Amino acid sequence: MIHHLLVTPDRSSFADLSLAIEARGGFISWADSVHQALTSLSKINVDLVVADETLGDMTGLEFFKRVIAVNPMVNGAAVSSLSKEAYHESSEGLGLLMQLAPNPGKAESERLMANLNRVLQLTPAKRQETSR
Amino acid sequence: MENGRIAIPSMEAGGLDGKRSGHFGHCDTFTLVDVKDGAVDKVSTLANQEHIQGGCMVPVNLLADNQVNALVVGGIGMRPLMGFRQAGIEVYHDDQRQDIRPVVEDLISGRLAMIADDQVCGGGNQPSEREEIT
Repeated sequence: MIHHLLVTPDRSSFADLSLAIEARGGFISWADSVHQALTSLSKINVDLVVADETLGDMTGLEFFKRVIAVNPMVNGAAVSSLSKEAYHESSEGLGLLMQLAPNPGKAESERLMANLNRVLQLTPAKRQETSR
Repeated sequence: MENGRIAIPSMEAGGLDGKRSGHFGHCDTFTLVDVKDGAVDKVSTLANQEHIQGGCMVPVNLLADNQVNALVVGGIGMRPLMGFRQAGIEVYHDDQRQDIRPVVEDLISGRLAMIADDQVCGGGNQPSEREEIT
């Protein structure tokens, strides 16, 4: 089962995303804060982390700089209202799957799931090692 | 390096007399150089896999699965760098030379430096034209 960690102080902003994940049989863990998310990532194996645009005193993109220090293997996607160019500049080197609009809808969530599946298909050995 | 396997992101068919690729995620092939007793023992090539956005760990797993010990890049993002380090693959840096052979010779003789955290792409650092963002 694919394990997703959704990081947001407002779960309603990921309503459509969580429905899309559940429709595909995915498992969801929630974190309301950066601290809770990083604690979870140090304890559990996660296939995808999705971060909301603002997480307390940092942006979702800044949060991912901390995530890769804890677990660079985990895949990520961030909500960001930056322009395409500004997002590219800000996310450089973070290796994120895609930029999500605030309150990502069903179609966008489906694209994210499809992108995640493509990456997971290309990394089957590592998935076996990290799957619970 | 006395013993081990070096991977060089390469253009087209690769090989010791081939050209390096400045973009390891998008490179055509990896030239693999086996080093034994401080000398080149064997050279082979490994086809790269499909590169997709966010697929930084694909080459990390590919090279780890093929027993690579060291990689030479022109540039790299922080996530794949951390991934290579976690996989036990040392990442060396040379953003000047396109020929594979002199870079391999320098790595074997200890004249090539490992990439530093402040040389990665992103995080406020300015990548050169040859550097790679994955």
